[in-house]
Amino acid sequence: MVDKRCTLAEAVSLVHDGASVTFSGFGHSLQPLAFCRELVRQGRRRLHLLTMGECWAADLLCGAGCVATVHLSCLLFEGYGRCQNFSRAVEEGTVAVEDYSHFAITSRFLAGALGVPFLPIRSLLGSDILTHWTLEPRKHVLMDSPFSGERVVLVPALQPDVAVIHASRADAEGNVQLVGPRSIIDEQARAARTVIATVEEVVDPAEIRRHPELTVVPGFLVEAVVEVPFGAHPTGMYRYYDYDEAHIAEYYAASRDPARFRAYLERYVYDLPDHWAYLDAIGLARLLALRADPHWGYVDPELRRAKEPEQGGS
Amino acid sequence: MVASREIRDGDRVFVGTGLPLIAGYVAQRRHAPHAVLIFESGIIGASPRHLASGVGDFRLMTGSVMMSGLYYALSLLQRGRIDVGFLGGAQVDRYGNLNSTAIGDYRTPRVRLPGSGGANDIASLAERVVILMPHEPRRLVERVDYVTSPGFLRGGTAREEAGLVGGGPVRVITDLAVFSFDPLTRALRLDALYPGVSLREVRERAGFAVDVAGPAAEVPPPSEEDVALLRDLDPDGIYLGRDP
Repeated sequence: MVDKRCTLAEAVSLVHDGASVTFSGFGHSLQPLAFCRELVRQGRRRLHLLTMGECWAADLLCGAGCVATVHLSCLLFEGYGRCQNFSRAVEEGTVAVEDYSHFAITSRFLAGALGVPFLPIRSLLGSDILTHWTLEPRKHVLMDSPFSGERVVLVPALQPDVAVIHASRADAEGNVQLVGPRSIIDEQARAARTVIATVEEVVDPAEIRRHPELTVVPGFLVEAVVEVPFGAHPTGMYRYYDYDEAHIAEYYAASRDPARFRAYLERYVYDLPDHWAYLDAIGLARLLALRADPHWGYVDPELRRAKEPEQGGS
Repeated sequence: MVASREIRDGDRVFVGTGLPLIAGYVAQRRHAPHAVLIFESGIIGASPRHLASGVGDFRLMTGSVMMSGLYYALSLLQRGRIDVGFLGGAQVDRYGNLNSTAIGDYRTPRVRLPGSGGANDIASLAERVVILMPHEPRRLVERVDYVTSPGFLRGGTAREEAGLVGGGPVRVITDLAVFSFDPLTRALRLDALYPGVSLREVRERAGFAVDVAGPAAEVPPPSEEDVALLRDLDPDGIYLGRDP
């Protein structure tokens, strides 16, 4: 049996300086933040982020100075506002960007996944997304369909060096399963040259085979698997744990100012040797309180109000 | 309330977080029980018990009929299956173009904004688009700094000439007034004022000269029933604040 398990530090070492990387995630869920914190700890530089909506990964890595360029559709902390570290880096000129829409950049990933050089789409026409480009030698081509004449935009394939996915579970052979909304993991994993999966739990292969419909990436496409419980914290994982509102608020407040963000990084990344120390810093009581209710898949607010004792600050 | 009236019964509605979400649920409960709410995340037909904070929020999984993916939902737009989408942004101009990308120069902006997300796709491909925008001079501008989401571009037939297949914006709803678009010039024109709002205020707080087609109607105030419904949907006033 092939065993693709490794430590988080080993998995992170597969991402080199200057690599192009895409991460799973959407809103306050599904983002491989334990992996990102370890990337920061290992001092990665000049990364080229290929993002659709992975606001957390992008903002954290920009704030830590790990990023050279970002391809994006939308980077937004839902309920809070624009990504502060990311925005500041662009305004200061330390990070260069290339803008798309959700459909356009996902079509780029899909073209990469399908092994075709481009795909035609019908959005972007008339917008400044077409008239402005920074990073791509040729961002798009306008074409009138050779079959029926409609105007379409051709977007080129995107094949990241690495896709880092956080998912529900996997087996040691690297078969990765996910419950709940899956964003564009499917397109990202098939487009990328190397796929790294961090998962809440590594389970027996027989368990994977009982529910093959849950598999999002088959083992033969996966390079490395790491068991990282609460690996998405402070974002959530459907049916495992909810997003941590208090920590998100703390992060966002710190991200507004470089000195405060530096203090946040020291407290939650640089001063901690690994993910286990991070979880200790968050605290067992807090983590257990985030666990999803089995019926809802997230924290039931009525039950939480009933059972949570008054908690002091983090 | 005004936004919810833009949804017709049976419409396939592309819903974003915040006010569009509330508008969608209000419409379903009041006059459009067969409207289908589709989220950018791919969740279709959600009946959430708890208020969602975003389009990918787990809370939207509850009671949903289908959990597809982001690409599936956006493909429906391109296929022409979506009747109405709601959009916001940092700036809107007189032709209904929206900016959610950058204020100032694109490469070294004064303010870098989140980016398009699904907005450009919705603006390009939905049958009709409804724009929600706070009524402020820095938001209602003569020309947006960057066209993230196309309305009627430079006006007239510019949108058709660009090859856009969606119908474009039909309404702009602010917290003072309701606008539609002139059928020829495609410029914004005032339709109705909220109770107690004057035309002068609408003009003073806009960054471009507001056209008026004829005498402005008055937007009917929400009924007691409406207010109760809104409070039920958003009891903590997260999206609605105190004043629906």
